Amino acid sequence: MHRSFGSIILDTSFRVLVPFTLVYGIYVLVHGEYSPGGGFQAGALLAVGVVLARLVQGREPIFNIKGTTALILAGIGTFIYGAIGFSTMIFGGKFLEYGRFPIDLHDPAELHALGMLGIEIGVTICVMATIITIFDALTGGEDLL
Amino acid sequence: MLELVIETILLIFLIGTGITALKVKDLLAAIVLFEAFSFFAMLLYLIVGAPDVAFTEAVIGVFSTVFFIAALNKLKRGCKQ
Repeated sequence: MHRSFGSIILDTSFRVLVPFTLVYGIYVLVHGEYSPGGGFQAGALLAVGVVLARLVQGREPIFNIKGTTALILAGIGTFIYGAIGFSTMIFGGKFLEYGRFPIDLHDPAELHALGMLGIEIGVTICVMATIITIFDALTGGEDLL
Repeated sequence: MLELVIETILLIFLIGTGITALKVKDLLAAIVLFEAFSFFAMLLYLIVGAPDVAFTEAVIGVFSTVFFIAALNKLKRGCKQ
């Protein structure tokens, strides 16, 4: 069974909706220090695009991350978090002690913000890929309808 | 005072949707009612003053609905009238 599920209304609304969702996800990630949000919510919002594409357009959507690629991306996200955390230990601090990075900035708070942005990017990639992987495992590679 | 009234109404809706989601026979209806439960919980978090938790609840509510419906479709167990 390989008929496409989406009608023209669903397809058009998908095309209109998804770019705004992606931009909002990036905004939530980058602006997470000052407003509600953070890595987890940003990752879920970024995964909305791919999951919606699979729901509307069936097995071969136009906007896709394959299941195996998603699994690799989840590992990469976890690796980014761990690499930043342990690299501060290499520079002589504790786990995730951002002040020990050997970057010369006049404000140490800026160093904290940079380190936090780094681990948030790792969390975002991991959450996005994990949600796509769970959806793939639940649908078993078939069309949903 | 107004906050108290809104909180009471939201709590009544929350308990109502929760009990109905447990009682109803149709699984798809239970999933949709669970989504409504999640939405009222989100509004309640927003009223109480935790926008971060409310944001997470909204996003997770959407994805849990999608996952439940995908699993239900895999089960091939339809509605029993």
